[in-house]
Amino acid sequence: MNQWEVFVMDLAELAEGKELELTIRTLNPGIHKYTYKRVRARVSAALDRFPDRLQVRMGRGQLSDRKFSIEVLEEIRRLPAKYQ
Amino acid sequence: MTAPRSNREFIEACLKSGDAVRIRQEVDWENEAGAIVRRACELEAPAPFMEKIRDYPGFSYFGAPLSTYRRMAISMGMDPASSLPEIGREYLKRTNGDPVKPIEIRKKDAPCKENILKGTGVDLCKLPIPLVHDGDGGRYVGTWHAVITRHPVRGDVNWGMYRQMMFDSRTMSGAVFPFSDLGKALNDYYLPRGETCPFATAIGLSPLAGMAACAPSPIPEEELTGMLAGEPVKLVKCETNDLLVPADAEIILEGEILPDYKVEEGPFGEYTGYRTSPRDFRVTFRVNCITYRNNATMTISNMGVPQDEGQLLRSFSLGLELEKLLRSQGIPVTGVYMHPRSTHHMMIVGVKPTYAGIAMQIAQLAFGSKLGPWFHMVIVVDDQTDIYNWNEVFHALCTRCNPERGIHVFRNTTGTALYPHATPHDRRYNIGSQVLFDCLWPVDWDKVNDVPTLVSFKNVYPKDIQEKVLANWTDYGYPPVR
Repeated sequence: MNQWEVFVMDLAELAEGKELELTIRTLNPGIHKYTYKRVRARVSAALDRFPDRLQVRMGRGQLSDRKFSIEVLEEIRRLPAKYQ
Repeated sequence: MTAPRSNREFIEACLKSGDAVRIRQEVDWENEAGAIVRRACELEAPAPFMEKIRDYPGFSYFGAPLSTYRRMAISMGMDPASSLPEIGREYLKRTNGDPVKPIEIRKKDAPCKENILKGTGVDLCKLPIPLVHDGDGGRYVGTWHAVITRHPVRGDVNWGMYRQMMFDSRTMSGAVFPFSDLGKALNDYYLPRGETCPFATAIGLSPLAGMAACAPSPIPEEELTGMLAGEPVKLVKCETNDLLVPADAEIILEGEILPDYKVEEGPFGEYTGYRTSPRDFRVTFRVNCITYRNNATMTISNMGVPQDEGQLLRSFSLGLELEKLLRSQGIPVTGVYMHPRSTHHMMIVGVKPTYAGIAMQIAQLAFGSKLGPWFHMVIVVDDQTDIYNWNEVFHALCTRCNPERGIHVFRNTTGTALYPHATPHDRRYNIGSQVLFDCLWPVDWDKVNDVPTLVSFKNVYPKDIQEKVLANWTDYGYPPVR
């Protein structure tokens, strides 16, 4: 199970039941901890719904006590092709 | 005593004088190292030199390099016990001379080339980039460093301390304000042309190079470093672009700024003592090459409540550069001081009040200058008030500043996203407001009959009485006054 974290201004940004585009960072142990990915994902307040866990921080870094499960559907490559 | 030429010489000098401690036990890059640095800052304790970092054998950290005046004095090769005015006078003396041009050395002689990562080997996570504060938006690569760029038209080189967050293994994002030198170059030149801007980030600089990168001086930082050190700074060419970087820096990151592609940055614990600026899409730095010394030491500045180098050094250099500005305009100032605890938001100016409107003239010059966005309060006191003595300044503010005529608000100026008092809208658009507290007696008041007499020991007693009391002070039964 992977651990992820996301920053939001409002928990309403984590709408359940639809596909979302999120910038999430890995909390898995190791030297790559805290690196980011842009992904298409689904989230749920039911922790057993999706395979991975998602922790939430608010706009100024405050840790939310709400936890979610998350399924990463696809990584989105935002970097323009000319820079790849 | 000579100025330490490198970060390593500086650490040795601080260890020798008791201004640094060697931490031999392993520390965690995730929060623990940051917490040590933060506590050292808040206690004004010796700088931590952390020799063993979890997951990163062979690397070390040096935190809070210049967060005390003692370490600032050491960095300049002065007695650590030197007073702030003494350090300030020395800074002005050295930086008012002729610029000292840098020299370029061969790559094989540059310590920063001892290890080179290119191509698929580039991974920022191979460096012990710390999570400085719990809850930060990321691990911050650049907290005490220089981002080196060259203006595409003028050709002048800029070393700026723009914070940089690791976004992924090859990408950093950073706060570059549009009124900064780099911000102007990106908006005026690179963005309209869709061209990338070459950059290099130097980490683990000599302390004087760090001081120069932090100083808002019009002198190119590589020359300013040489002026402060009394000898040329040694530079070496990058591997992947034509920029020159300090050869003795611990770590160099080379790459390009992508002007039309932005990723999220922040939030981050800032020099004001808060996390203020919002997480936002900010300037993106793509890293193409990493070079570093054997046993490289990464420097960490942990910004938060006073005092860290974000306040102390910036207050120091900003105040002195403003003093230069005012003197260049013929203003009869006795000095300019920014107390570190004001997080360089308050500029205190001592002046001989020889004509009407002099406080307003000072405020207009200061707020209107390139340095203006970085502070929002100016207090002007007379030449009899000791600007370094907050008790005297506070007394003058509370007794001489007329609420109706002495307080002048400047609206719709330039601010930064970092001001805690600014509205969310103003932070987003760098809209500022500023205020002058004029604590001078009006020049049209009769000096004999209208201006109140300051009732103090040194002002109301005859000199012979003062000398007698001072001479007999311990005989009266009081302990000696230091």
